[in-house]
Amino acid sequence: MRILIVDDDSLTRFLLVHMLEEAGYTDCYEADCGNEAIQLAEKIKPDLVLLDVLMPDMDGYEVAPILKKMSGDIYLPIIFITALDDQEDLAKCLEVGGDDFAPKPFDRIILMAKIRAHSRTRLLSIRASHQNQELEYFRNGVEREHSIVEHIFSNALKTNKKVSKYFDYRLTPASNFNGDLFLTEPSPSGGLYFLMGDFTGHGLASAIGALPVAKAFQAMTQKGVSIPEMAATINDTLLSLLPGDMFFAAIIGEIGSDGTKITIFNGGMPDMILISPDGTLKKRFASLHMALGILDNIEFEDDSEHYDADIGDRLIGYSDGVIELTNDEEKMLGEDAVMNWLHHEPVIKINELVAKLDIFRGAAEQQDDITLVSYTCQSLKSLVLDNQISQLPFNIDITLDTEKLKNTDPITDLVNMIASQKGTEGIRSALSTIISELYNNALDHGILLLDSNIKKEPDGFFDYFEMRMERLSELSYGEVRIRVSLDPNTKLLTLVMKDSGKGFSYDTIMAGKETDCFGRGVSLVREICDSIEYSDGGSRVCVKLKL
Amino acid sequence: MSLETRLSANNTSIRIMVEEKFDFGKVHDFRDAYTNLPDSVNEVIIDLADTEYMDSSALGMLLNMQKALNEKVTTFKITNSRPQVAKILKISRFDKKFDLS
Repeated sequence: MRILIVDDDSLTRFLLVHMLEEAGYTDCYEADCGNEAIQLAEKIKPDLVLLDVLMPDMDGYEVAPILKKMSGDIYLPIIFITALDDQEDLAKCLEVGGDDFAPKPFDRIILMAKIRAHSRTRLLSIRASHQNQELEYFRNGVEREHSIVEHIFSNALKTNKKVSKYFDYRLTPASNFNGDLFLTEPSPSGGLYFLMGDFTGHGLASAIGALPVAKAFQAMTQKGVSIPEMAATINDTLLSLLPGDMFFAAIIGEIGSDGTKITIFNGGMPDMILISPDGTLKKRFASLHMALGILDNIEFEDDSEHYDADIGDRLIGYSDGVIELTNDEEKMLGEDAVMNWLHHEPVIKINELVAKLDIFRGAAEQQDDITLVSYTCQSLKSLVLDNQISQLPFNIDITLDTEKLKNTDPITDLVNMIASQKGTEGIRSALSTIISELYNNALDHGILLLDSNIKKEPDGFFDYFEMRMERLSELSYGEVRIRVSLDPNTKLLTLVMKDSGKGFSYDTIMAGKETDCFGRGVSLVREICDSIEYSDGGSRVCVKLKL
Repeated sequence: MSLETRLSANNTSIRIMVEEKFDFGKVHDFRDAYTNLPDSVNEVIIDLADTEYMDSSALGMLLNMQKALNEKVTTFKITNSRPQVAKILKISRFDKKFDLS
């Protein structure tokens, strides 16, 4: 407790200092005039001032407001030392900023009690000021963190505009951050994927789970993963990340390139519905599962539903924030109301639906995040065409000699070579199958002269395998030449494979029975590619595949 | 490298996890995965989640498995196929013999 004593009378100062020291206040400073008091106060920052009224240079009335101002927001108690007894003079002391009086002659007990009382107030004021500072600091910190997180979110959750244009959707968070999520990405094999979901609660805590979900979703859509696998993977990711009381209700869907083949996984979301243009309900994709992030691998089921819709049908999904929307009479909207709206206005736009929601809610506060997503079945062919193909024509010409036939498995490398070209990622799987079939036929039947009928025997597959290994190791001469070329203008990939053998009866192989374990290869290739043509008795084959 | 298999808790169902490529190179691994199954197994699930492509010999291997296990296994499921792989199964009419999901 640092006390400043201001009085032009040295005897009074001496008396006060002595009195204070006796009471334990040893940190005392003295000033003998107003100017000195101000200078000293600036330097020593007193906790309390005992101030004389009448002084030669500046009187106490002038000094008090200056000292108060210097102290800023923190309470600096000023106690006037006075011999005055005029009521107006005393009142003036308080008006200029004084807090109390110490009348001369001093009453030691009263004065000390007053000092203690004012120092308590001063302490409270200092504490409050510190807390305000901390609060301000904290608030600034939170604001800064929010803006960083917002930045990350807006980048991570950027919807792919090429695909999102097929959707009419709206996300309305209840607070800064959205616990609801809508994502859509193109599928490498044409068509699109979408994901709409709802984390427990709302705000930042629930939005945080959106990041790993978005990353996993984007990575899997690029690979063309199936819906059940996607659901299982996201479930796995969230199970390991989220605290036990938090989970993610989600619909994960895929729509084929024709725009009507719908596959839906619904875990814990309200029914997704399909309505025809006249408002008839055609299909409900009800939740068949628990939300994601709850069940472990073994308990988790990943069944999805398929439906073949018609062009013009409308697929609509929403988060529970919609049907649980509450108006100012505490009444919930409910699913029936939404179904009724859609039945009467089947082509209603999402923003018109949102307007209806706002009218229903009235003055009540929005409690939960609200998401509405609508897709009208239409051809997604243009989505496939967006697939940018490398404009450079290319040729790959590979000759596998005896040595290479024995020691390499060229299929993977060749597929990687072709699929590394821009725009060919989507045919990777088909290409793998095609090359595998053609190469195995060329090698097994053309060069190694193996007979598929071996496979008919009970252990035929393994005998065949052994025989293949044996003949390959004994092979004295064989050659397979593979040429692949792409014409960017026609988007046609041509693959020609020629082997050194005498050919094989590809036509009988093409007519395998359904129950046979073999003989499917050629007809399979025929289905996957656009054309297949054998020549030179079966030793040369040409396949064309449209990108 | 043998294929990963998972036996259900009550020993009635086995899940065979096929790898990235499902072609003739897997002929032994695949057979090993379903030989010497406990007698209690009555369901086989082929999980193609990781499978990027399959060829006709894989189809043959699947049918072979079915022939070998037909007496004690009642349900054969193929699950988690990616679209391209699902297309091959569909072209080959495997929905007639397997439960495709």
